[in-house]
Amino acid sequence: MRSSPAAGGPDVGRRLTRRPGIGAFAIFFGPLIAFYAVFYFFSVGFLIRTSFQKVSLSFRDATNVGLENYRLLIDDPRFIDAVRNNLVFAGVAIVAAMTIGFFISVALWSGVRGRALLYAVFLLPTLMPIALIAAVFRTMLESRFGSINEFLRGVGLDALAQRWLIDPDLAYGVIMVMFVYLIGLPILYYTSNLSIINTSALESAVLDGANPLRLMSQILFPIMRNTHKTVTLSTVLMSFRAFDIVFFSTGGGPAGRTEITGTYVYNYTTSGIKVGFGSAAAVLVLLVSLIVSAVQLRIYRSAGAQR
Amino acid sequence: MMRLTGRRRAAAGRDSEDRLYRSRLDRTIMTTLLIAMAVLWLVPIASAIDRALVFNGWRNFSEVITGDIGGITLWQTYWNSFAIAALHAVMVIAVSSLAGYGFAKFEFRGKELMYYVTLVFLAVPATSVLVPLFFITRELDLRDTYLGVAMAEASLTMPFGVLLMRNFADTIPDTYIEAASMDGASHLRTFSGVFLPMSRPALLSLGSLSVMWSLQDFLFPALLLSDHGKTTAAQAVFRFKEYLAVTPDDIGKYNASLVLLAVPALVVVVASLRFITRGLAAGGIKE
Repeated sequence: MRSSPAAGGPDVGRRLTRRPGIGAFAIFFGPLIAFYAVFYFFSVGFLIRTSFQKVSLSFRDATNVGLENYRLLIDDPRFIDAVRNNLVFAGVAIVAAMTIGFFISVALWSGVRGRALLYAVFLLPTLMPIALIAAVFRTMLESRFGSINEFLRGVGLDALAQRWLIDPDLAYGVIMVMFVYLIGLPILYYTSNLSIINTSALESAVLDGANPLRLMSQILFPIMRNTHKTVTLSTVLMSFRAFDIVFFSTGGGPAGRTEITGTYVYNYTTSGIKVGFGSAAAVLVLLVSLIVSAVQLRIYRSAGAQR
Repeated sequence: MMRLTGRRRAAAGRDSEDRLYRSRLDRTIMTTLLIAMAVLWLVPIASAIDRALVFNGWRNFSEVITGDIGGITLWQTYWNSFAIAALHAVMVIAVSSLAGYGFAKFEFRGKELMYYVTLVFLAVPATSVLVPLFFITRELDLRDTYLGVAMAEASLTMPFGVLLMRNFADTIPDTYIEAASMDGASHLRTFSGVFLPMSRPALLSLGSLSVMWSLQDFLFPALLLSDHGKTTAAQAVFRFKEYLAVTPDDIGKYNASLVLLAVPALVVVVASLRFITRGLAAGGIKE
């Protein structure tokens, strides 16, 4: 809670001016409320309604099917796999963020030459259109003309040239690699928090002759507790929005092996026919993202209160 | 390099020199590891450029730059992307700076609840609202318009915008607002005359991020723009493939187009990296 001034005295006038009249309220919050009314409240209501219907993307001739869509959804092994893949990829991304990402951030912070350039190398891919990055990965890994295989053949390692995107297990691995590759935001969060930590414990440990890896794991890692939380939650949320990563590299294939919730919902939505079914999946994904957001807000607020 | 303890102490907190290393060897090992990783991270970029030059060399680039690909030129995709990004940024800045001011400087019942409801939509995945946004855009008759795409994108950026602007407005001392209102200025005049000029850093961050997120977006253009002439750069990653991946000869051209389609986002990100990182760190909460 924000501090409120004590009643009486000179504060009275100030409190009065801070209470907006109807006009001021409408000017400052009207646009926001209008936006939310249409794009969130109506949207979510509409989505929930279509999730109980059998309907096409023309939205005509909808028939009510009750909970049928949800029942079908929970019975669809592909949906369950999509949710599981989503969590697996999120898990991989979190582990990578807290190890590789943390290491990179600390190494950058500890002072190397060309720090700004190196930082940009790790950060920039995350800030590009992800569709583009994923498309580059795909052409890079194409079995016939992809540069990875051409390179391997060029140095006589033909046996290692694989059908990266066609073999289901390799394709799964490729998606994982891409989740690790897009590590920019965790690095950004760690970097910005490293710049404000108190380093006195670190300095005395350096003077005692501790090696850099020990300093990282035993001193710096524990101090960054709150950043780990931010990184974890933002990575989970990112994984639900990682549609482009999968869509542009494997397209969810082969045979649904790398499907995530994003591609699953997208395919049903844009197929144009099973829109009600797709909406049911969307409702569940939306629900999960709102819950994770609520958790994140709690943590964010308690961290803010400590500051 | 080892330095005198006193100097190191003095340096702590200001720059980041020598905080971690006992010796030059420590530093060399870490730097080497870091550079090795950076090289790995550059592999896809090197690959894209390498593939863009196969078969026809630089001709691949010049053909993509000058040619017409499936009814649209590369320049037109740039223009479409920037038009949508600009509309998106204007909407986000207008709505969220007003609301950010209101949340920071007004007192009323239920304010914190309203703020909480605003922020709980911070991480809504675009895929989950495709159906209603398609419907809304169609009903507003905004399909195949820049505005329709920009509005859909703005709906997802708005919670972050409000978060950023309120956090910033909270750091502006109330005395500035009070002084203005004592002069008889209304809230709207205080907002435009005092708050907005003071918010320049936050507005720059929010503006740069809004442009960047719009340039990153593939889903809403793909859903809402069927007119090939309105294809955005991110969307062209998909559309160009239909036209440029037919013969092996086209592989070079397709890869050249991928490199070229990165240009708008790259220009924006490099030019405003400082504002972007600051905004993301201040939000600390979005994807």
